Amino acid sequence: MSADYHDHDDHHPSPWGPHDWGHGAPHNSFSPLIMSIGCGMFLLMLGGLFSFGEYDGRYLPMIFVSLAVIAAALIVWCRQDMSFDGSYEPRAVGVPFKNVQVRKVGVWIFLWSEMMIFSSLFSTYMRYRQGIPRCDTVFESGDWVEGVAVTCFEPASKLIASSWWHIAPGAINTFALIISSFTIVQALRWANKPVGSVDEEVRRKRVYRYLAATWCLAALFLTLKMIEWFIGFHVPEIGFLGLHEHDIHSLYSEGYLINNDHYQAHHYVDEATGAHMVANIQVSASLFYVTTGTHGLHVFGGIVGLTYLTYKAWTGAYNPQSAVSIEYFGLYWHFVDLVWVLVFPFFYLY
Amino acid sequence: MSNTILGRDAYWMNFFGLMLLTLIEVAAVGADLSSAAEGFSMTERQLTLWILTVIAIPKFIMIAAIFMHLWGENDSGILTLTALFPAFFIIIMILFIGLTHPDASMGLPDWCRPGNYGL
Repeated sequence: MSADYHDHDDHHPSPWGPHDWGHGAPHNSFSPLIMSIGCGMFLLMLGGLFSFGEYDGRYLPMIFVSLAVIAAALIVWCRQDMSFDGSYEPRAVGVPFKNVQVRKVGVWIFLWSEMMIFSSLFSTYMRYRQGIPRCDTVFESGDWVEGVAVTCFEPASKLIASSWWHIAPGAINTFALIISSFTIVQALRWANKPVGSVDEEVRRKRVYRYLAATWCLAALFLTLKMIEWFIGFHVPEIGFLGLHEHDIHSLYSEGYLINNDHYQAHHYVDEATGAHMVANIQVSASLFYVTTGTHGLHVFGGIVGLTYLTYKAWTGAYNPQSAVSIEYFGLYWHFVDLVWVLVFPFFYLY
Repeated sequence: MSNTILGRDAYWMNFFGLMLLTLIEVAAVGADLSSAAEGFSMTERQLTLWILTVIAIPKFIMIAAIFMHLWGENDSGILTLTALFPAFFIIIMILFIGLTHPDASMGLPDWCRPGNYGL
């Protein structure tokens, strides 16, 4: 710890930032704590807003209050970090992390909690996927009565992997995330190039362009997810490719919904009798939307972070000394990619 | 990171490898594997799951090792151990939630039922 820690009062002119990083003392920001409280409030109020499928408008004002708390905490955090130039990057002095950056270890410990969140979602998925019979198995067995809903597991892949066009948004998203993982390590590489080995203006442009590319790919990911969930798309007639005009329906318009206890799909019609099997798919749809939605929220969080990093890079703030910020954010972003590596095959393809 | 793979830049090689593996994944789902599945005495769905699982493992390792710098840096060893620490809890969670089943106690395979191995 620096000798001048707390030995004068003017190094912290305002609790709202920006910090003076030059004196070598810790700068523990209260903003992440405030932001966490805001996120907790938001989730609690959102749960109240749609309690058991019923809309309750009394919670709406508190939703806006919680969003304001999150926004305020983020603004303060960004103001505090904008002045960070990498001059103070504490390293651990004891085992087992001796000489490892303290913040890097902190990011890894944060990723532990993320691992546990997704592990719980995956284990729940495995549990129900094995514990509930598949809808197509029930249909083929003939063990159902028309008009009486059968509780069964209808994986989203039944719709998503039914054709190349249906799978296109998810497949493009997979490539988008892998490319974004690559662009962010390229941003880090350019920020890390030794001073003097590259023109500073070239460094500035490369870093912010790679970060902006990562931002665009993340936005593409969420856009395609919205198309896949809610919007669908139109495939035009392209004669020389042998393509016929048709619509690709969204999961929403196909009736793949978390509250659907009377799901009717065209592939569950008995050709001999014309009878239609009706399925209760609440468990399978909930698992799909909660898991992929949680992942999507992480991508959204990444977009918020990338917006700030790209702006800071645009000001030319990143150099070998301060590049660690990109590295730490990159760890989070690669983790989001890692989760998708598992989500895509098991929720979209299988 | 200044590591190389096969004499070329590690980031680029990792990127190309990941793209290739993802292409194989998507192709495996779209392709008709019914005849291949018969050869392995399994359903097409089971074969697809095997292919997807086998491909996901190297993809997972490639992203963690190269992009997350868990290979080739001074602090890679301790940070890899750090990253693996929750594995114990994850395994416990998968075993006790993910792989449980309503008829787990009755539906166990013979090799893990009492009475085998002279027990």
